[in-house]
Amino acid sequence: MADNLISVTGLSKQFESGDQHVTVLRELSVHLGRGESLALTGPSGSGKSTLLNVLCGLESPGSGRLAMLGQPLAGDGAPTGKALERTWCELRQSRLGVVFQDANLMPTLSLLDNIRLRARLAGRDDTSAGDWLQRLGIGELGQRYPDQVSGGQRQRAALAMVFVTRPALILADEPTGSLDRRTAETVADELFELQARHGCGLVLATHDADLAARCLHQLDLGHQGGP
Amino acid sequence: MSPRIALFSHYRRHPLQLAALAAMILLASALWTGIHHLTSQARTSLEQSERAVAERQQSVREDGNPVSVQDFVNLRRQGLCVMPWLEVPVPGRGRLVGIDPLAAHCFAEPGHTPAPWQGELDGKPFVDISEAAAQASAEASALVLLVSQADGQSPPPAGYRYQAFAVAPDTAELGDSFLLNLDALGVLVLLITSLLLRSVFLLGLAQRRESLALLYRYGVNRSQLSRLLLVENLLLALVCILPGVWLGRALSLVLADGFGQALEGLFDRLLYAGGGEDWWLPTLTMVAVIVAACLAGVRDSSGSLLTRVQPAFFAVLLALGLAVSLWAPTLIWLFLAVALVFLAAGWLAPLAIAGVVRWLARNTGDPLIRWRLQEVAVLVRRLALPLVALQFALALVLAVHALVTTFEDTFDQWLGQRLEADYYIEVPQGADITAAVSWLAAKPELVSPELWHQVIRGRASVQTASGREPVPVDVFALGPVSHLVQNWRLLAQTETPWQALARGEGLMVNEQLARRQQLAVGDRLIVRLGARRLQAPVLAVYPDYGRPSGEVLVPASLLPEDFEARFRSLSISAGIEEIKVVEAQLARLWHTPQLTVRDNQAIRTLATDVFDQTFLLTRAMTTLTLILAAAALLLMVWVFLSTRAWYFRLLIVWGMPQRQAATQLTRVSLALIFAVLVCALPLGVWLTWILVQRINPLAFGWSLPMAVYPGFWIELAVLALIIGLSIALLMRLQLRRPASAPESAHGLQGGER
Amino acid sequence: MNRFVIVLLALLLTACDRAEEPSGFAGLAGVAESEHEIQFLQPGPGDRLSFPADFGPHPQHRIEWWYLTANLETENGRPLGLQWTQFRQALTPRSVESEPPKPTLWPLEAAWMAHAAVSYSGQHRFAEKLARGDVGHAGATAQPFSVWLDHWHLRPASGHVGWRLSVATEHWSYDLLLQPQGDPVAHGDDGFSAKSASGEGSMYFSLVDLKIEGTVTLEGDTLRVAGTGWFDREWSSQFLKAGQQGWDWFALHLDSGDKLMLFQLRETQQAFRSGTWIPATGEPVALGPEQIGLTSVGQPAGYPRRWQITLPAFDVNLEVSAPAGDYRNSGLYPYWESPVSVTGSHSGVGYMELTGYRAQ
Repeated sequence: MADNLISVTGLSKQFESGDQHVTVLRELSVHLGRGESLALTGPSGSGKSTLLNVLCGLESPGSGRLAMLGQPLAGDGAPTGKALERTWCELRQSRLGVVFQDANLMPTLSLLDNIRLRARLAGRDDTSAGDWLQRLGIGELGQRYPDQVSGGQRQRAALAMVFVTRPALILADEPTGSLDRRTAETVADELFELQARHGCGLVLATHDADLAARCLHQLDLGHQGGP
Repeated sequence: MSPRIALFSHYRRHPLQLAALAAMILLASALWTGIHHLTSQARTSLEQSERAVAERQQSVREDGNPVSVQDFVNLRRQGLCVMPWLEVPVPGRGRLVGIDPLAAHCFAEPGHTPAPWQGELDGKPFVDISEAAAQASAEASALVLLVSQADGQSPPPAGYRYQAFAVAPDTAELGDSFLLNLDALGVLVLLITSLLLRSVFLLGLAQRRESLALLYRYGVNRSQLSRLLLVENLLLALVCILPGVWLGRALSLVLADGFGQALEGLFDRLLYAGGGEDWWLPTLTMVAVIVAACLAGVRDSSGSLLTRVQPAFFAVLLALGLAVSLWAPTLIWLFLAVALVFLAAGWLAPLAIAGVVRWLARNTGDPLIRWRLQEVAVLVRRLALPLVALQFALALVLAVHALVTTFEDTFDQWLGQRLEADYYIEVPQGADITAAVSWLAAKPELVSPELWHQVIRGRASVQTASGREPVPVDVFALGPVSHLVQNWRLLAQTETPWQALARGEGLMVNEQLARRQQLAVGDRLIVRLGARRLQAPVLAVYPDYGRPSGEVLVPASLLPEDFEARFRSLSISAGIEEIKVVEAQLARLWHTPQLTVRDNQAIRTLATDVFDQTFLLTRAMTTLTLILAAAALLLMVWVFLSTRAWYFRLLIVWGMPQRQAATQLTRVSLALIFAVLVCALPLGVWLTWILVQRINPLAFGWSLPMAVYPGFWIELAVLALIIGLSIALLMRLQLRRPASAPESAHGLQGGER
Repeated sequence: MNRFVIVLLALLLTACDRAEEPSGFAGLAGVAESEHEIQFLQPGPGDRLSFPADFGPHPQHRIEWWYLTANLETENGRPLGLQWTQFRQALTPRSVESEPPKPTLWPLEAAWMAHAAVSYSGQHRFAEKLARGDVGHAGATAQPFSVWLDHWHLRPASGHVGWRLSVATEHWSYDLLLQPQGDPVAHGDDGFSAKSASGEGSMYFSLVDLKIEGTVTLEGDTLRVAGTGWFDREWSSQFLKAGQQGWDWFALHLDSGDKLMLFQLRETQQAFRSGTWIPATGEPVALGPEQIGLTSVGQPAGYPRRWQITLPAFDVNLEVSAPAGDYRNSGLYPYWESPVSVTGSHSGVGYMELTGYRAQ
């Protein structure tokens, strides 16, 4: 297995908008090693979310080469069709953790059930779900539903969901974007702390320069985005 | 920008939503107009056919001799308005009816609809009486002297009396009953239509919640907003209703075309009149429904109403409705009961489904199952209105199927009861039936003794032993009591009723008489048959669909000599060759060159044709209702899912393969639809019961047998499966589309639980 | 009018070929070109009357009628006009000698129509009856003289010299004793009454003075009435010439004891007039077209209610007018039948019949 969690070379991505082709990512190369963290910065529309979606397989890369956790997923040697989808699914199930700004939880399930469901889908033991809530300081909220807790508590639960799968790489899209500054800092602290402790990689898309500064690498997509 | 434009600008950005709303109004208008027109068409057609076969009065001689031209002249010279009606059998063409249009002149009543013969005398079936007289030997054809309605009221001239005259078995009450039920269904369809419209309206409202909230924040007050919405919906309604009404009319005309032709075929003439030009009634109704659907609680769209009123209240309402339906002494009460039960069922069904799935969710340890169940609960709540509409539509389809099948069976039985033998030979007036009976009895090798009997019909009066006033009844006498009748379905009976009847140990009464006089098997009746006063127990109660009057069935042996028979015939089941021999011999015995022999199969085919098309139409219409309800539901599902898709996609984000996720969603939608189906079944069965067992006895004094046809439930389940799979398909499509993350995880952006 | 009329018309016309020109009032102007027509007899100059046979039916003629009009008074002197008419219209001609078809065949060789009307106090009551001939409920015989349709009948009065006429409808009835005074008056050329310059015409005679008494019952009120009547017999196979639109007919009882019958048949441009002057004493005089002045007075359209009649040769200058009211007989073929009063050189009463007008 290669050392690189992420290996992106010459990635370009275009969207069609009416008659126009909008290039979101152009000839992008990103490499991330184990335990490393990368901040994606840039203004809105610079392609941060698109890159994250490509990295977790929810969007296909336009052109270029992509390998995740050593597995080629685009370009030479990459599987296609069903095999490609299967590979991505396996990756997302237990190797990749994805955190969005909000709405990471099934609204119809309690926080605990969300984590249990996530653990089950990852093929992990779901008995640790309660422990994760405890560790994130929301152990007493396990029976609450997402709409019954605060945004910060929801994001902590989202972190619990990510770490319950023991991922190798976390892809976080503005994970603190909807939180007030103090909560945001707490949640960010927890994220970096857990990342460090579990030695997983982290790709973090953010507007927040302070947050970005806490990452090992920074990539400003604002300089390469645009038509 | 005025609030009006601001409000409408939403649709400029989402033209599909507007189109969907318009399409729903259009389809709903078309649906109800179609049903309305069809019902009125069916009514007009049936009324006309009834007029053609309506019972009239005829003048007959008191001495029992057949009336002749001389009698006609006598009566006319006495100032009586009578008209000759000469029915002539024409081989291969059915019958010709000769009438005298000059004599019929006095029948014309100003302002009345023209009588059936007041058209062209083109042989369909009316011809000038001279033509009819020329076509047949005077002996074989029957002359009838019809009495005008006005003269029929006053006492007949000396030497004559009046009696009823009808040219065909009168299906009037069976038809009326069916039409009444069709009316009841029309009201239910209207209810479903309004539910659909309401749900579409609420959908539009939900979609524009943000714009509305914004306008509210900018100081446009609520009543102003409501007014704007109302005006907007009215405008939309006006634009869509007229094409909808037109579409509905076109649809019903296409469908009804066949109906008219069927009637035409039966009565040899154009009877189908069409529904007239009343487009305004469906239009006004639809406008009213739309206004009502839009006005009822504009503010509420989140389904909170469901929880606002206690389920217990609706449970009480349901119980009340069921109780009223059991007790209802009049149709009004019954309809009230139906309204109550539907209201309560409509409220309770989503609550019940949500309650059950929540309970199931609580009791499962598997978070995925729990998620699915909880999703079902959310869908039930969010889609309550279209789901209830679907539930009603399913119940309706179920009930209509049961009703129609029951009617078909009933009609078969009704025919069967009247047409129990293969052949019917009318006994000409004045002919000696005893000779024929003894001849037949002496020829067991020709016609098996169990397979023929004579039928004598007349009038009598009946008094219960408890000494109430005597009531007039029809008499149906059989002799011998052959096997032909013994497979009748009896509603109540002693141990061996037919044998007892044959021995003259009692009599049978029809359901109508039993209901009216509250008779049970074993009750003793005093029957006045001509001069004879007969006291006998009731041996059985037989169903007698569609007959307005009470009837007693007695063995012919009990009839006194002087019994005045209005009709005599022989029912015989035999082969073609045998019947020819019988016919020839009877013609000899009765000195008649030609006998009126009717072939069971021919009558049956003819009679069945009337109803078949109506039944077909009714089924088509209810199925259309179901399809519309399903379409509305799918539309709602699509819109709702567009906000929910993000969460479905979480499953994929979490690594669930697309196919598995889709399977999960399929299970959700199927669970939802089957829950609705399960709620619809008891409602449908109950509605069936109301239609066949309650409405009919109240309206007409006779009941239809109740049957539920579970086989059809499977068909319904397949239908539900298709709807469920369609919903699942929509969910899959939503899964494929990139979903944008909701700005917050709160309820209105699809994040409710 | 209801569809029945269409049926009836269709029936009545089956035996006649369609005319090129409009077939006139009540189809009376049938055109003599059909095959059946050859067998219908057409009266002509030289034909003679024969009594009592001519009181009976003429089956070989297409149309005929028995026509009574009466100017009566109630006991307290109020005028009451009364009409009874029975028409026969043949579809198939039949010679007098030949056997009529059997009633059991419900033959359709002739149709009968009876009209009865009572005009009293400005109100006009009318009733109509129809029947097919040869069945028995409608017919006529010369000896004994009897004309009937259902329960309306004219027949010899029992115990009296003369006839009894009874008519009953749902709301009104009359029962009269008619006693003819004097001999029948033959009109025109000894009974042949020309109806156009080209020779179409009918056989026509009248009993111009009938003494009438009896009762008229209107909505339950029975009135004793008495007065004078006029009885017409007329038959033909083609009455109106094609192109004639209708007629105006007058039968007047003048107080001088003279009687006058005159009529005109209207064509687009002109009118054919004829009449008979029956003086109180002396022989009736047939009036030629040139001897009669007849104009309607002061009414541009509708049924003219007032007329000016002049017979210069007899110093007769009359104004004839209908009383106030609507005297249309609104049956299958609507026409005007009203009593009239006469002023001018003579005074008197009479009856007026107007056909072929468009009602105003």
